Amino acid sequence: MFEFLFKYPGAVFQKGQFVLLASWPVWMLAVGVMAAGGLLFWHVRRNRGSLSGARPLAIWMLETAMIALLLFLLWHPAISIATLRPQQNVVAVMVDDSRSMGIQEGSETRGAQAAAVLDGKLLAALGQKFQVRLYRFGKEAERIQKTSQLTASEPATRLGDSLQQVLAESATLPLGAVVLLSDGADNSGGIDLDTISQIRQRRIPVHTIGFGREKAGKDVEITDAVLPAHALADSRLSALVTFRQYGYAGQKALISVRDAGKTIASREVQLKADGAPQSEALLFNAGLAGPKTLEISIDPLPGEENRNNNSLRRLVNVETRKPRILYIEGEPRWEFKFIRRAAEDDRSLQLASMLRTTQYRIYRQGFSDEHELAEGFPAKPEELFAFDGLIVGSVEANYFTQTQQDLIREFANRRGGGILFLGGRFALAEGGYAHSPLAELLPVQVPVNKGTFHRDFSGQELTAQGRASLICRLVEDPERNAARWSSMPQLANYNDVGEVKPGAVVLMDVAPAGRHRMPLLVTENYGRGRTAVFATSGSWRWKMWQDHTDVTHTTFWQQLMRYLVSDSPGRVAASTARAVLADETKATLRAEVRDKAFKPVPNAVVEAHIVGPDGAATSVEMTPVASEEGAYSADWSAEKPGSYVAEIVAGRDKEELGRDVAIFRREDGVAENFHTGQNRELLKKLADETGGRYYSASNAAKLADEISYSEAGITTRETKDLWDMPAVFFLALVLRGSEWVLRRRWGVV
Amino acid sequence: MAISVTVLFALQATFREFPALEDDHVPVPPDAYEKTEWAFTRLMYPSGRHASVFGQTGSWPTDFPKADRQFVQGVRRLTRIHTRSSEQVVDLDGDEVFNWPWLYAVEVGHWSLTDAECAKMREYLLRGGFFMCDDFHGSGEWNVFLESIQRVFPDRPIVEIDNRDPIFHVLYDLGERVQVPGIQYWYTGRIWEKDGKTPHWRAIYDDDGRVMVAICFNQDNGDAWEWADHPRYPERYTSQAYRMGINYIIYAMTH
Repeated sequence: MFEFLFKYPGAVFQKGQFVLLASWPVWMLAVGVMAAGGLLFWHVRRNRGSLSGARPLAIWMLETAMIALLLFLLWHPAISIATLRPQQNVVAVMVDDSRSMGIQEGSETRGAQAAAVLDGKLLAALGQKFQVRLYRFGKEAERIQKTSQLTASEPATRLGDSLQQVLAESATLPLGAVVLLSDGADNSGGIDLDTISQIRQRRIPVHTIGFGREKAGKDVEITDAVLPAHALADSRLSALVTFRQYGYAGQKALISVRDAGKTIASREVQLKADGAPQSEALLFNAGLAGPKTLEISIDPLPGEENRNNNSLRRLVNVETRKPRILYIEGEPRWEFKFIRRAAEDDRSLQLASMLRTTQYRIYRQGFSDEHELAEGFPAKPEELFAFDGLIVGSVEANYFTQTQQDLIREFANRRGGGILFLGGRFALAEGGYAHSPLAELLPVQVPVNKGTFHRDFSGQELTAQGRASLICRLVEDPERNAARWSSMPQLANYNDVGEVKPGAVVLMDVAPAGRHRMPLLVTENYGRGRTAVFATSGSWRWKMWQDHTDVTHTTFWQQLMRYLVSDSPGRVAASTARAVLADETKATLRAEVRDKAFKPVPNAVVEAHIVGPDGAATSVEMTPVASEEGAYSADWSAEKPGSYVAEIVAGRDKEELGRDVAIFRREDGVAENFHTGQNRELLKKLADETGGRYYSASNAAKLADEISYSEAGITTRETKDLWDMPAVFFLALVLRGSEWVLRRRWGVV
Repeated sequence: MAISVTVLFALQATFREFPALEDDHVPVPPDAYEKTEWAFTRLMYPSGRHASVFGQTGSWPTDFPKADRQFVQGVRRLTRIHTRSSEQVVDLDGDEVFNWPWLYAVEVGHWSLTDAECAKMREYLLRGGFFMCDDFHGSGEWNVFLESIQRVFPDRPIVEIDNRDPIFHVLYDLGERVQVPGIQYWYTGRIWEKDGKTPHWRAIYDDDGRVMVAICFNQDNGDAWEWADHPRYPERYTSQAYRMGINYIIYAMTH
């Protein structure tokens, strides 16, 4: 219809430039329209006869519009547009040949539908105007001669990489446009801005033709599973599993975490509405040290169309290290004893404590030897930063020197350690923290005045964040966990901590009888590390008021201490860009190297020793990252599927600075199982960003006509008249017809 | 074993006077009702068939409350422990004992715990409580002590505490110790009583090697605290008794 009325396809109007071809200036057109309008106004007013009110005005407007239209046509309106010269340009036709194109929809696969579109008319029509280069692509593009070479067998789809490859290959050719036939199921996270920018610079329109249903019929798909990359042995871990489903709303499904085929956690969940993203957390124990490949899965439901997207794998490096925590306590108290007992029961933690028993005596426990910190609280970075966590008990702020206060701040900020501030009669506001530099570290705005420590028993309640936190998780089931906390013995005392700072998270409140609730356990991230406040010294009653076999107190404190240290980096912190290489080989290793004071080391020698799935070992030298002091990286190709362990060792001047382990895994044949619905949004965005157009399979035939309008390749500029558009004729007819009808009705013909 | 626990509404008892039962009356300190981290917690136990020596009150209030109130003055002066000026008396019939993780009993050579009290004591200790017993002498009283304590822990041995144990070094180094006599030393000149010529510092340990029960046998630290202000009682015994008591408290608060 559009083309019937306006004579040319919409693309002409979108891409062309409107011009007036008459030699007369445009201002004369405006003057002419105004003069004609004035004359008509005088004429209509003089001869209005029996017309009154708005009626003469309506007649005048219709006549003026008609005159304006005729004058406009006298100025010769036209569209000037760049058009590809016939037979002098190349059009690249790229066909997605990944496994997802083999999905059967109706009577044909997506690949067969694409072949049918091409063989039906499109290739022939394009061939009449251009030189056509046909490509199949998956992970990379490959030139083919005919559609029968399409096999829908590529294990992954990399739209961006393939486009870049085709553009590079045709850099010396007059490439006028790209036609891309795909379901848009890209496995590399979309098309990066560089690729889009490169296409736009060359002004090559990418026209996309989409295949496949946007929504599956009946399917459950895990879209992501978030687990920590590393953990301490025996830690409670959370797997945040995100999934969506079509066709099973309201039904139950079983989510599981398996380690080496053995189920270590499972939970039945109720499925939400079709297409709605749903996230569920599964808790499990990390178990013994060593790299683990965990399978996160949802049991297939009856009638599922694609069962291959019901599970994915994640790697967790369960570390052998035993993080050390330094606990400085200002007075003997029961909390100290029971915290120590909880730490001693944890094989993955070491607690070294300094207790001021008298004015002149510090009782030291858990140190490596009698000389370590024999002089008292550390005054040098290398002494304090040797620990991963710090607990500050009932100690006045001014007990620490200015240097020590700066060190404590840098412990979280630069070293990346975790600091826990406890309540007590010399802690927080009572210890003068509000006026000390340490106030900045606290996740709360402690009151200026004293009198905030109350030796009164109080209950405690989890907040919404506390219910979700691993620190407060005593039992796996969230509801039972909340109920467990509400039946806990009361705390012996509490501090009023004041206001919570923005960005801090309150996990638990105290609920004293007859008083309003106040924050009890508050956490926040600070610099590279984290800080927390537990505003009581009375959690020991959780131990003394429950059966001796009860492990609530122990579990809570172990989890709180693990929170402090589990993410505290060592002097060498290794990581990989992707832990799972889904149908790809390139692994990017990264390491941050720091000295004993945790300052970046720019001149280290850093080597990655990689052991592959077959036991073969390789060493790769890592090079400094230009923009980041102390960071090193290396790209490495994982040639075989399976798990890889990379131990990264950093040294300087024959001294070893440290070492860390990163693990990753190459998996083949999995990427195409996920995101199998047509990604129309991606295809449309690619077309829009590059000046092309998105077509569905059913209207792809139009592409042959519209593709000519491009500014890439070898073009000629065409001028297309607009005066003879049927729309102009119809407009004139409507204007005159309307006037005639009105005059008839008003009896002034 | 299941101990019923009144979880939500359990409150801590405050100071309470026992004027009719006091062995050695001293005035109640003005800050007797202060809420503190630690208080001298004296066990009120039944003496049963062994009570005849002490009459109706039994043996538990021996030296009470002067020893308690005088000792805590030392604890206040010599340590950073937030200490109450008054003692706390608890028994093993209710659950109040669980609010006081350090517990002292005197004259346990005359005690006679019921089975229920033994069970309560066992649970208290396994949860993390610490029990110091003192002022009993000779083989006869030892056997009486054993009769109850072995019902608390039938399967745990009573052993001599090694001189290197942290309990003797946590604040004061008490590797070398002397026998601390009771007040009878004024009259008899002997530092021992009955056939208890050799002092013993014995203990019952938990599974992790921590002292749960500290047994001061053939010695009388309670009298040393009680008569610390009397010029006739030798200072060296008082000093050791104070130091020993403080070490036991700090050990209980650190292990």
